[in-house]
Amino acid sequence: MKDKPEPAPKDFAAAVRGLAATWVALIALMLASLGSAYLNLGVGNVVAGLVIATIKTALVVWFFMALRRASAMTRIAGAVGLATLILLMALSFADYATRARAPARWQSPQQLAPALGVGAQR
Amino acid sequence: MSYLDDGYTLRSWLTTHDHKRIAILYAIAITGFFFIGGAAATLIRLELATPAGDLVSHDTYNKLFTAHGVIMVWLFLIPSIPSVMGNFVLPLMIGARDLAFPRLNLLSWYLYMGGGILTLAALFLGGVDTGWTFYTPYSTMFSNSYVLLTLTGVFIVGFSSILTGLNFIVTVHTLRVPGMGWFQLPLFVWAIYATSAILVLATPVLAITLLLVAAERLFQIGVFDPAYGGDPLLFQHMFWFYSHPAVYIMVLPAMGLVSEIVPCFARKRIFGYRFMAYAILGIASIGFLVWGHHMFVSGQSMTASLVFSLLSFVVAVPSAIKVFNWTATLYKGSIRFDAPMLYALGFVGLFTIGGLTGLILAALAVDVHLTDTYFVVSHFHYIMVGGSVMAYFGGLHFWWPKVTGRLYSGVWARIAAVIMFIGFNLTFFPQYVLGYQGMPRRYHAYPPEFQVLNILSSAGASVLAIGYLLPLVYFAVSLWRGERAGANPWGATGLEWQTASPPPTHNFDTEPAAPKTVYGYDAEADARLAARGAPASTERAEA
Amino acid sequence: MTARTAPLADAARTPRHAETALRMETAELGMWVFIATEILFFGGLFFAYLYGRTHWPEGFAAAGRRTDVVLGTLNTAVLLTSSFAVALAVAAAEHDRRRWVARLLWLTAALGVVFLVIKGTEYRHEWSEHLFPGPGFALAATAGAELFFVLYFLTTGLHALHLTIGIVLMGAFAAGTEHASGWAHPPRLQVAALYWHFVDVVWIFLYPLLYLIVRHS
Repeated sequence: MKDKPEPAPKDFAAAVRGLAATWVALIALMLASLGSAYLNLGVGNVVAGLVIATIKTALVVWFFMALRRASAMTRIAGAVGLATLILLMALSFADYATRARAPARWQSPQQLAPALGVGAQR
Repeated sequence: MSYLDDGYTLRSWLTTHDHKRIAILYAIAITGFFFIGGAAATLIRLELATPAGDLVSHDTYNKLFTAHGVIMVWLFLIPSIPSVMGNFVLPLMIGARDLAFPRLNLLSWYLYMGGGILTLAALFLGGVDTGWTFYTPYSTMFSNSYVLLTLTGVFIVGFSSILTGLNFIVTVHTLRVPGMGWFQLPLFVWAIYATSAILVLATPVLAITLLLVAAERLFQIGVFDPAYGGDPLLFQHMFWFYSHPAVYIMVLPAMGLVSEIVPCFARKRIFGYRFMAYAILGIASIGFLVWGHHMFVSGQSMTASLVFSLLSFVVAVPSAIKVFNWTATLYKGSIRFDAPMLYALGFVGLFTIGGLTGLILAALAVDVHLTDTYFVVSHFHYIMVGGSVMAYFGGLHFWWPKVTGRLYSGVWARIAAVIMFIGFNLTFFPQYVLGYQGMPRRYHAYPPEFQVLNILSSAGASVLAIGYLLPLVYFAVSLWRGERAGANPWGATGLEWQTASPPPTHNFDTEPAAPKTVYGYDAEADARLAARGAPASTERAEA
Repeated sequence: MTARTAPLADAARTPRHAETALRMETAELGMWVFIATEILFFGGLFFAYLYGRTHWPEGFAAAGRRTDVVLGTLNTAVLLTSSFAVALAVAAAEHDRRRWVARLLWLTAALGVVFLVIKGTEYRHEWSEHLFPGPGFALAATAGAELFFVLYFLTTGLHALHLTIGIVLMGAFAAGTEHASGWAHPPRLQVAALYWHFVDVVWIFLYPLLYLIVRHS
């Protein structure tokens, strides 16, 4: 059965307040992300950055894009897109994580000038 | 007034929003591309009739098999059933007046034509020699051919695919006639829906991959180049993440078609409808998990190869379920061997063989021996040609009366189907043997001991060509002198048969009611009625 | 997949309202499906980045230090504010505040232009510092640094292209709000706004990955 969508806020002022609160939260999270980058957290830096980005995205998607008001099918469409991307990364990393690496000594490449057009060659 | 009479000018065709006209525009274009790709195949088979590389140079040969692959995959197979039959029949099947976004549909066609013309231009300017798979670093660093132009063409065609898939998904969700729930949908609709999901999710990854190859080629910067810290396998992961689901784009609509044809010509409800629907979804989803089986010998880790090998075995299960169910549908059916049925039966048999050889290839140890041999070539041709192309012809023959309002010669159609079946097997079965005997693919010369099988294969190709050319003749004849078809010449169920042949522009004069059961055939009831001399339970006229 | 007996069978009474609601749902679903395709389009680049970051951590760190964190943060704030502006515009349209709709949409477009200007400034700096991949790349001695900048320019370039399309879209809707034909009506605006927010979300992820790799010394 079709989900009952959440109705739009009756009061314009209330709508504005809600959106403004979201904006404030987004800016605050951005500053938190910036600040955390200046702390030496090791792998925690990456985690913090991505977690904060995910929270910001969730705020944008839920409040600005009004996904809570959309039909279930619409929400599934967005979720499936994200899930497929995660699948690409995760299963490819089944390869990368389990492959032994033996990188050769790094050499600066002998760079030729790039040739635009047909048949660019080294 | 039918949709064909709704404007006779070229402009009315080129600016149409009517999904039926757009389907015909696609049909004409892909027929053209099919024969161009077929011409490349002809030259390949002519070259391979003798062991020495004497017909064309090795460079030209590389360009031939690349052209054949690029054209057949992107310009023929991927758009064929969805953009021709999906476009024409899907709205009719759900009782809609058109797709959800008719103008987007027309844009899809123009993108397809633009990309197709660019790709052909690359071909005529001198061609590409990388193989349709564009493996790096050859395509990015070393190939001195029209890679960029071809990539651009394919990139544009990709957007055509994405928009078509988007259109179908939204159409199936929002434009079904009231009362038509998901489990009242014909399996063709399920198949197109699943195909559209793949189109929408996989094609963008191809697009970005091609963009990266183009960037690397243009600016000599390396995402796939180890000298810059890149990885050739990164290309392969991204490329095959699209290209494996792409083969399901090619086969799922064909399966949907077979599920329409078999019940009609066995006069029997499809066996296990729900399992068929779930199997379609299963194939589409598991199909996203198996791409690494194209990379078993490329340097992928053993662990990943094991995972992909296992998943490739798993994906065979829903396909097998479908084959069992089609067979079970035939059991105690009242089978008529009209042309569409011959093609559908051909599909079932040839797809089974192709699928089984896929399992052989999915076994890691065996694949090490068989990879890049003619075994692989034969495997995918069994599925794509013995499967998808045969099903496409089956669909053409099934819906021709609906699309054109004319009947074609049943005798000649059956002859063509049999010739195609024989020609196909003669062409491709020897290639399995060549493959496990060790003949590599993409070679224009080979050791003399392989010649006999190659000659058989080339001979088969000429028979197959006749099978493909014959329909051009009797279809053309039917347009000029064929008997007028009624609304439902096959006595089939499905809403598309409830309107005139050919349909009016707006599809239905009054909105049709959703049928209570899908595939409401009843062979036993038909037989009892026939015994009493009464007409069949569904209206039909002799084809 | 939920089994639905009929599309919008339980929607409003009048056929016209049902048709509008149907068109709205159709357009919104279409836009989200399109957003799904874009997730996978950009996602390929994120995948390449993931590969690069895990295989060449020092190179990415060295290169990541050379991006302009001040301008990058400023741009992030600009884009977040522009999303706020367009969300306000949609709310204003739903509550029939037409003058505000046009103003807010022009503001959104303007903020988009500001973003592009700042980005252009960054690109100019990076060009003069020899951070464009190719001959003469400044960090050629560090493995993986050039790969970082390849991905930096590709992702931000593609993002800027999408943003430009968004600016044109917002401008068109700003101009169209006052149009007599009413083509820029609220449901359509909401769907167009979804595109803008999506462009913002891409940047939300690009920001930490490109600017905040290693800022502590």
